Amino acid sequence: MRPNLLEVEHVNKIFTRGGFVSRRVNHAVNDVSFSLAADKPEVFTIIGESGSGKTTLAGMILNSLPPTSGQIRFRGKDLREIRSRRARLEFMSHVQAIFQNPFDAFNPLKRIDRYLFSAAQRFTECRTSEKAEERADEALHKVGLSLAEVRGRYPHEMSGGQLQRVAIARALVSNPSLIVADEPVSMIDASLRMTVINLFKKLRDEFGVSIIYITHDLATAYYISDRLIIMQKGRVVEGGDARTVLAAPQHPYSIKLRQAVLSVDDAWRDSSFTGGMPAIAT
Amino acid sequence: MIAELRSIPSSDVVKAPQAVPLLSVDGLKAYYKVKLFGIDREVRAVDDVSLKINRNEIYGLAGESSSGKTSLIKTIAGAIRPPLRVVEGSVRFAFKDGERDVYKLSPHELSAIRWSHLSYIMQGSMSVLNPVRRIKHAFADFALPHVSAKGGDFTSLVERHLKRLHLDPAVLQAYPHELSGGMRQRVTIALATICSPEFIIADEPTTALDVIVQKGVLSMIREIQQEFGSSVLFVTHDMAVHANLTDRLGIMYAGRLVEEGRTRDVFKRPLHPYTAHLISSLPRIGDEAPKKGLEGSPPSLADPPPGCRFHPRCPLAIDICRREAPPMVEILPGHRTACHVAQADPARVRPVA
Repeated sequence: MRPNLLEVEHVNKIFTRGGFVSRRVNHAVNDVSFSLAADKPEVFTIIGESGSGKTTLAGMILNSLPPTSGQIRFRGKDLREIRSRRARLEFMSHVQAIFQNPFDAFNPLKRIDRYLFSAAQRFTECRTSEKAEERADEALHKVGLSLAEVRGRYPHEMSGGQLQRVAIARALVSNPSLIVADEPVSMIDASLRMTVINLFKKLRDEFGVSIIYITHDLATAYYISDRLIIMQKGRVVEGGDARTVLAAPQHPYSIKLRQAVLSVDDAWRDSSFTGGMPAIAT
Repeated sequence: MIAELRSIPSSDVVKAPQAVPLLSVDGLKAYYKVKLFGIDREVRAVDDVSLKINRNEIYGLAGESSSGKTSLIKTIAGAIRPPLRVVEGSVRFAFKDGERDVYKLSPHELSAIRWSHLSYIMQGSMSVLNPVRRIKHAFADFALPHVSAKGGDFTSLVERHLKRLHLDPAVLQAYPHELSGGMRQRVTIALATICSPEFIIADEPTTALDVIVQKGVLSMIREIQQEFGSSVLFVTHDMAVHANLTDRLGIMYAGRLVEEGRTRDVFKRPLHPYTAHLISSLPRIGDEAPKKGLEGSPPSLADPPPGCRFHPRCPLAIDICRREAPPMVEILPGHRTACHVAQADPARVRPVA
C-alpha cells in the first residue's frame, strides 16, 4: 500500500515569550491529527477564527515551522528529515502554498512572469528559458490565463482575482500533489471569488491535486470541501465529511459558528422568500 | 436567531415618502485629477451618483474594491483632499437645525457638524485608537471639542453612553491592545456615536472581525440606529450582511450607482445583470448547485469603457450598451436601475449562474 500523501500526527506547537520573570506560553496548535490519502485527491478544509492556530498549522505542513512535538509525514517521510537543499527543493516541488493577499505575495517592482520562470527553472527540469516559458504557459492555461496576457506585466496592472490566479499558476508550475491555500479568496472581490473557488475544484478533479483550504468562511467551505476540521484555540473540536458537519454541527463551538453565519436566505425567513435562487416574478 | 437584527421587517409597506430626506446627493462627480509629466490623468471614482437617504433608515452600499464606494463616502463626509476633488454636483444634509450643503461650508462650519451631526465608523479599530493612550484619552481627543460638558461631567457622560451600549465603563482604563478585536470595534462605535449624531457613516465596520463577533457588532449598530433615530450609511462588500441589516441597498459598479431599491426587492428581484450575478453566485450552506464566477475584471476607472461600464462583462449586452451610458430609471416603485435591457423589459434580467 502506498503511504498516505500527508499524515499529521498529534502535532503541537507551543510559542513561548519572555524569560525567567514573565514567561508566557501560547499553545497555538494542540494535538492535531489528520491524514490525506494519496490516491484520492480532495479539498480538505481547516475552519477557524483568527487565533485558532490554522495558519500555524499550515506553516508546519509547509515545513517552514518545526512542530514542538508530534510528527508530520509527507508520503511517509518525516518533514524533520528534510535538511539538505536538494531534499528541500524536492519537497517544495510537491507541496506549494497560496496566500491570502496576492498583492503582498508578489513584489510590486518585479514582473510577474519572472516568478513563473524562476519556479520552472528551480523545481523542474526546464533549464533553458524556452522550456521554462513553455512550462509557465502550460500552468497559466490551467488557470484560464496565458503567457501572452501576463508577460512583462507588473502586479499593479492586474486585478486581485487575476493575480491570485497567477499565484495559483505559479504553484502549479512544479506539478505539485498538495497545495496549501491560506484564505485564498478573502481579499478577492465577490464577482471574481467564485472563479478562484471553482479553479480549486478543477485542480482536484482534472489534475489530481489535493488542496488544504484554510478559511473562516463556512459558505465557501461548504461549497468546495470534501472533508473539514473546525479548530478553536489550537484544538480540533469537530471534523468529518464537510456537508454532514456543516449541515448538523455537534460541538457547541461549531454550532455557535454555524449560527453566526449570516445567510441571505434567513434574512426574510418569516416572509415568502423561500431561499435558493432569487425568484423572478413576472 | 438572525431575524433579530432587523427589528422592522422589511416586508413592511413602503415608508411614506418624506418631505425632505436627510441626505441628498445630486449628480455628484468626484474625480482624482493628477498631472504627471504634463499629462492630465483623471480617475473617475464617483461618476454622476445621485441618491437620497431618509431619516431613520440603514442604507447599504455594496460594490467591489475600486468601485468607488470609499471615494463616495469620503465625498459625502466632506473629508476629501486633492487629488480627489468634486467636479460637479452637490451633497446636502437636512439636519434638524437646518440644511447644510457640504461643499458650500467653510472648514470651520464643516468641523462643527462633524461628530455632533455626522460621524464615521471606520474599519480598522486599531488604527483609530492610539495604541499608547488609554481609551478614555481617545474619547477626550475625539469628543471633548464637540460637547459642552467638561472634566467630571464629561467622564460621566462617556460612562453613561457606554452603559447605554452595554459596555463596561472599565474599558476606559484599558489600552487598545488589551481589548479583543470585537471589543475594540464596539469602543470605536461608542466613540463615533457619543454625540448622538443624526447621520452615521460605517465603512466596512465588521470586515476585520470574526464571524461570531460580527453579529454582535451589527446588532449594536442596529440598536443605536433605533435608539437615536439616526440614519446609517453602511458600506460593505459582504452581501449577506446587507441582506440581514440594511433597509435599502445601493449597488456600485465602476464609480456609478447601478441599482438601488429596498434590500429585499434587490435580493428578490435584481434589475441589473451585475446585481443578479452577485446574488446568484453567493455560496450558501445547503446549496450544492455549481456557481459561476463572472468573466473579465472590473474596468480601470482611469479609462472606463464607453457606454455602460458593465457591458464588456454583461451576458445581456446589446448594441446600445456599448454606445450610451444608461441613466438611473425607476422601474418598479422605489427600485431604480441603470440598465438598458432592464428598462426595455425587466423580465430579461435573470440570475446567470
